[in-house]
Amino acid sequence: MQRPFSLADGVVPTAARAPDPVVRRAGQWRGAVRGVIVLPMSAVAPLSAASSLLAALTLRRVMVAIVLAVSVAAALNPLFVTPFVVLLGRTLVIAMVLLLVFIAAGLWKQPWLPAWLVRVLAVAVAAPIATFVVYLPAVGGDVSAVLAHEGRVSGFMLIAGCGLVIGPLLALAALYRERDAQAHSQMLQFELEKSVLERQALDTRLQLLHAQIEPHFLFNTLANVQALVESGSPQAAMVLKSLIAYLRAAMPRLSEDQATLGTELQLVRAYLELMHMRMPDRLAFSVQVPPEIAGLKFPSMALLTLVENAVRHGIDPSEQGGRIDVGAARDGASLRVWVADTGVGMSETAAAGTGLANLRARLKGFYGDAARLDLLEQAPHGVRAELVLPVTEETR
Amino acid sequence: MTATTALIADDEPLLRERLRTHLARLWPELDIVAEARNGREAVELFDQHQPDVVFLDVHMPGMNGIDAARSIARRAQVVFVTAFEQYAVQAFDQGALDYLVKPFDEGRLADTVARLRERLAGSPASAPPADGALDAVIDRLSTELRQRGPARAWLQWIKASVGTSVRLIPVEQVAYLRADEKYTLVVWEGGEALIRKTIRELADELDPERFAQVHRSVIVNLHQVVQVNRAPNETAEIQLKGRKEMLPVSRSFVHVFRQM
Repeated sequence: MQRPFSLADGVVPTAARAPDPVVRRAGQWRGAVRGVIVLPMSAVAPLSAASSLLAALTLRRVMVAIVLAVSVAAALNPLFVTPFVVLLGRTLVIAMVLLLVFIAAGLWKQPWLPAWLVRVLAVAVAAPIATFVVYLPAVGGDVSAVLAHEGRVSGFMLIAGCGLVIGPLLALAALYRERDAQAHSQMLQFELEKSVLERQALDTRLQLLHAQIEPHFLFNTLANVQALVESGSPQAAMVLKSLIAYLRAAMPRLSEDQATLGTELQLVRAYLELMHMRMPDRLAFSVQVPPEIAGLKFPSMALLTLVENAVRHGIDPSEQGGRIDVGAARDGASLRVWVADTGVGMSETAAAGTGLANLRARLKGFYGDAARLDLLEQAPHGVRAELVLPVTEETR
Repeated sequence: MTATTALIADDEPLLRERLRTHLARLWPELDIVAEARNGREAVELFDQHQPDVVFLDVHMPGMNGIDAARSIARRAQVVFVTAFEQYAVQAFDQGALDYLVKPFDEGRLADTVARLRERLAGSPASAPPADGALDAVIDRLSTELRQRGPARAWLQWIKASVGTSVRLIPVEQVAYLRADEKYTLVVWEGGEALIRKTIRELADELDPERFAQVHRSVIVNLHQVVQVNRAPNETAEIQLKGRKEMLPVSRSFVHVFRQM
């Protein structure tokens, strides 16, 4: 069955196919759990033939059939001796029969012919048969009586001829409309999916902008810079340089087209230098990446997220601190980037924070399943984060 | 009369140094007897030196400034130093102690010094007069800090041996967990692995908002349930996002998915 789609038609089937289970819970599962879930089966169960027939019998279609029946009756009236009412009755019945045949043929699933052809042919075949059947009551069911009467034969020819011309034409037009509506609904659905994806991407970006320059980080760093400046330390200029590099790189940039592994590494180095200034006794680091892969495209902030994570969960909570090693290598068509720390390691209940979850979402958005982010425990303690991306294109 | 003594606790050496320098200029008689790099050291050094004033950074590794203040509060004047501005306002409302927001300027520190001097001179016994108020501030700070974390620490990561390494799998990526003799099979977006924890232990440790036991040997991630089908004997089967296998729901757990 194919009927014109409304916007709601375009949305409902997707919702039925992949429903988000609405699960409400009170208390723990072990106790009295009151779970409620919407089961999708009823939504996808095939409708019965009768109800599909009714569903396809839209008011619009019935109206079109009636209008045409009236017009045909009016056009043929001067040629007929039959009263107009009788003629109209005949054309109306024929129009309704043809409409039903058109819809019923659409429900008939057969493998031999294209569905549209079957529907048009069905209407063409039905037109003379329906006309003939309509004439039967007038002669009390006597077939030969129809054929013997010249007026009836020409009347039959006229009505059946009109039906033969108008019926299939109308069927074609209806099919065209259906296809149009389908295309339209598909387009709406694409638009919907696109807008959902776009919104998700935008959300992630906004979160990224909010998350990046944490006031806590900035003010603590500035307090350190202030200390260096006041004491006239020659280190001050260098630290300011790092801070400027970090701020410039971390500044909200909505265009990510320019981001390469090289620019990301500058950002990471600047960040690590600042953190090293703040905790010189607790943080050691190295960033070692072969220069020939620095030009590869790289999602901005991805590596910084991993490094910040290493500082936040590994080094910062540790009294002894540790080291962070950042590296990258190209293995054929994929780029492998890692951040390994010797910090306290991730506790099983440590809140993962939004950084990693956002990064995963972004990677999924950019690369689908081609990108991978794994977190591994390091011996004797610490975490190694490894990011594998497909090499897309070289920007330099 | 002996000189007033002080302890500085901050994990960032440049900031300890800066505070020491400014204090030396504003309050030359103040004797800074020790510097601590974390909360634990601060408490140790406090017990050792019994200073009159303690400058405490709030955010420090290991024991934080709030917990350190708890152990030493009643025995000294405490000044918190932190970059978390939002706590400062509340502390001032209490009027019990001072609160420096990093980065601070010397003028602001001069106010603190004046306040401390006044308080120390005003009570000859040099006992901090506002114990109750300080406790209130500490309580409020620790509540705030706790609110930044989850109410109960549910399992966020599942540690699974894969080959020679131990993987950290974020629980939101886990599709389901299934008992496998002494072990439990974890199935997540990136593969599967056996872990030593039992289903029973996991059921206790996982957030019930996200995970539900649906069978004696199966826990599923509710966010990944695509379809629940009825099965004979009042049981059911579950299908999860992106997975072909059907998981059993035993009769006693079917109510979890009661139809609306």
